[in-house]
Amino acid sequence: MAEVPKASALPAEHATSWRKNRKLDQWIAFWSVPFFFNLFGLVFVPLSWMMPPRSPSSTTPNIVDFMHSHNLLIACVILTLAYGLAPVSNACYLMQVRRMSVSPAFRYSMMIGAITGAIVGMLFPMFCFGLGAFRPGYSSGVLTMLYDFGYLAFIGSLGCFCVMWMAFGLAIILDENSILPKWLGYYTIWQYVTELMAAPVWIVKSGPFAWNGLMTFWFAMTLYVSWQIIVYVCIYRAIKNQPEAELDNASPELRPKVVELRSGTSA
Amino acid sequence: MNTRGQRILLWTAPPAVALFALAYLVFPVFSPPLSPTLTPDQVAAFFRGNNTGILGVAILCNLIACSLVPLFAVTAVQISRAATSSTVLTYAYLICVGVGTTAFILADYCWGMAAFRPDRDPQLTSLLNDMAWFFFIAPVGTIMVQNLCFALSVYLDERPDPIFPRWVAHFNVATVVLLAPSAFSILYKSGPLAWNGPLSFTLRLTTFAVYIAVMFWALLRAVRHQGDDRVVLA
Repeated sequence: MAEVPKASALPAEHATSWRKNRKLDQWIAFWSVPFFFNLFGLVFVPLSWMMPPRSPSSTTPNIVDFMHSHNLLIACVILTLAYGLAPVSNACYLMQVRRMSVSPAFRYSMMIGAITGAIVGMLFPMFCFGLGAFRPGYSSGVLTMLYDFGYLAFIGSLGCFCVMWMAFGLAIILDENSILPKWLGYYTIWQYVTELMAAPVWIVKSGPFAWNGLMTFWFAMTLYVSWQIIVYVCIYRAIKNQPEAELDNASPELRPKVVELRSGTSA
Repeated sequence: MNTRGQRILLWTAPPAVALFALAYLVFPVFSPPLSPTLTPDQVAAFFRGNNTGILGVAILCNLIACSLVPLFAVTAVQISRAATSSTVLTYAYLICVGVGTTAFILADYCWGMAAFRPDRDPQLTSLLNDMAWFFFIAPVGTIMVQNLCFALSVYLDERPDPIFPRWVAHFNVATVVLLAPSAFSILYKSGPLAWNGPLSFTLRLTTFAVYIAVMFWALLRAVRHQGDDRVVLA
């Protein structure tokens, strides 16, 4: 293997071991995902206490009180700094769809879903809360509107994520390269169809289908988080198992050698 | 492969920049930038007094909001040429461009909306103005990641003949640091970090302007040297 760096013309200054990892771009994107989701969780749970959601039928003084908490502003700052990492996680998942034997239309659908979802489902709702806290002088009518808008946009935005995960699930099922396990495709389809039960948050203000309800929030959130973790583990294995010869940066000189090596060892 | 298309797209950037500069110079909200300490009544009075100018720039920016997209798209093509294991940086870059541009458009709409009916309840005009500033100044997260993706693609590129000079990557990392303070504009109503302050406003816009100029030059050079080299993306 000593000749390999020379053959692929790696400059000598790049000779540290982690730097030699041919999949470094994918691994950096991959490890940014837990970093992002931790920040995301921090912003919405212990920092702003936006989640678990407050009730849609809270009294006006309660809403005004909450909308004035200074922590909402700090949560806003962290989110505006970190929300650019959401595209990185989407791109990381999308790379596995790119390896599948399916039309590029699947990954383009995921890309467009990711673009539309980032503002309507993340930045805009957070800003609604931040705006209330930014200027305490707003009337209670304005503050309750921001409160409703923030929660409904955050919990009720479904379409963009739906199209993203539909494309992801279908691609896995149709793929003939066995990049990701088939059961993950069916699981993904079931998952996003189940998420659609959050649609009534736009109608009811209490009970299991309100935005803080047992079904629309707690049940949907449990399903989502566990599914997300399982997808993440599957993506990890897919990146890890991708043969070197299949990489975009597999050098022409290296490619036949590696294929030979692989077919020799896997026989 | 013929690079004429990329060069045509690149040359749409200078007129776009000229229009943005014009919009900046004539926008009443920026000369000088409105203070976050103004009360809703003062904001409403400002929008009533400068109605035509604000609406005019809002309309202009509505038209040119996406006019730097071709420059970013050519950047994405050049990122995809870097010899890395996948096009993950290209896709992350493209998604960031879509998200960041949408934030700019929302800022423009909020200012336009405030000027469209200036006799609205001052609370609402003030809210629209606050929201516009939030969307205009604070969401630096996507451009930061965008530039990091670009820099990474240069650092990780295994080609023997680099597409970009290395200092362009260092420069992109520097812009990430210089743009970050704007996010803190949400916390302050006065001082350097407030949305009209030297760090959040002047430094952010100056960095962005210099960044566009440098990238324009670097992309022209990269496209000129591309020759028959293939493009991986799709």
